[in-house]
Amino acid sequence: MLDNFNHLVLPNINLLLRGLSVTAYVCFFAFLLAIALGSVACLVRLYVPFIRVVAIGYIEFCRATPIFVQLLWVNYVWPELFGFPKTVVGAGIIALALQSSGYLAETFRSGIEGLSKGQRDAGLAVGMTNLQIMRRIVMPQVVLVMAPSIVNQMTVVIKSSTLVSVIAIPDLMYEALKLVNTWFEPIEILTSTALMYIVAIFLISILAKRVSDHFRSKFGLAGLV
Amino acid sequence: MLGSLRESLDLTLFWEYRAILLRGLLENVYIFLGGAMLAMILAFAIGVARLSRRWTVRVLSTGYAELFRNTPEYVLLIWVYYVLPVIFSRLLATRFNFSPYAAAILALGASYSGFMSETVRAGILSVPREHTEAAMSLGMSKWMIMRRIIAPQAIRRMLPEALNQFVSLFKATTFVSLIAVEDLMYKVSMITVHEMRPLPLYTGAALVYCAIIVAAAQLIQHLSDRWRRRGWA
Repeated sequence: MLDNFNHLVLPNINLLLRGLSVTAYVCFFAFLLAIALGSVACLVRLYVPFIRVVAIGYIEFCRATPIFVQLLWVNYVWPELFGFPKTVVGAGIIALALQSSGYLAETFRSGIEGLSKGQRDAGLAVGMTNLQIMRRIVMPQVVLVMAPSIVNQMTVVIKSSTLVSVIAIPDLMYEALKLVNTWFEPIEILTSTALMYIVAIFLISILAKRVSDHFRSKFGLAGLV
Repeated sequence: MLGSLRESLDLTLFWEYRAILLRGLLENVYIFLGGAMLAMILAFAIGVARLSRRWTVRVLSTGYAELFRNTPEYVLLIWVYYVLPVIFSRLLATRFNFSPYAAAILALGASYSGFMSETVRAGILSVPREHTEAAMSLGMSKWMIMRRIIAPQAIRRMLPEALNQFVSLFKATTFVSLIAVEDLMYKVSMITVHEMRPLPLYTGAALVYCAIIVAAAQLIQHLSDRWRRRGWA
């Protein structure tokens, strides 16, 4: 088994690492886009009365549709329907972002609704505008309180990103399956791939938890759940 | 764009194939039920083991939960389908193969048991210690305390979180089509190859999944709310 590992995995480690970097790239931009879409959906749902229904429909659709279905839907239907995305990488990023934006919107909403109304009133009393209250009082607290769920969602994005190999984005899973189909030796290659994913996700979640704990204790939120 | 919008929302093609697609959806449901059953059994075992008094049991079960929580479901699915049979064949020195169904149920069940064991652990911990102590002072056995005191309260508290897990599990059953289980997405891809019209088919699939999950989640929540309130005291 170790022999096979030396033969198959080590010479191709560059290929796998390149795949891992594509995974990282896709996940990073998907998560950024998800945060942007999620905050917009959440704010519309909470504060814009006329199109609240649209935001609720969007959030429910994103949360209730499986990521795999969304991926194929965005990849095959969107280019004809909306004229974008032009590349498979774009489709992968949009699909992952759609899925997570629904969950993030709900996370942000529960964070905002969890704040006591008195804080907003206090902000108004000292003459802040709505935007200022949002930026200076609501946002920092929501981000800190919701940090664990946001980190959790980040690991979900990485886990879902394994599926983008299906639409031929050359990520880690894609390279691994290509190697398996070349050599017909699944054990070592797939096990190493799985371990790479596990270690990556584990490290990222620990790191993110450290960072969020640091800020939470710095700003006095460590006692909160 | 308006033309393609009308085309993608024109679901007559989707409706034409309803018999085939429905059979595919049934496969999703079977795999969901199998996976959910396996996940629940494993999750209870692991969740209880994580609260064990022996540290070896605790460490092993926590390791198990962390391992499966951090493994992407798709990677686990592929691993179980391609690697596990080869390992078994070498160990048993005979040819051994999983059917795609068995691999799908095993992989999804194991994957979600990691998440659910966390829910089970939190549910058991949410029952106050005094209840257990009171039961012990009445002379109940360990098994009886679990069955009569802890489980009824813990399960009611676990339910909302478990419901989320089940929704995720159902969503995860869509990618078993990648190991050639003939589920709804598999049928959709096959029909797309045949008809060359991806717009209505993929849109239809997305809408069907969305509708099923929203409806099922609402229904289960509605049905279980009364049962949960009854035991609340």
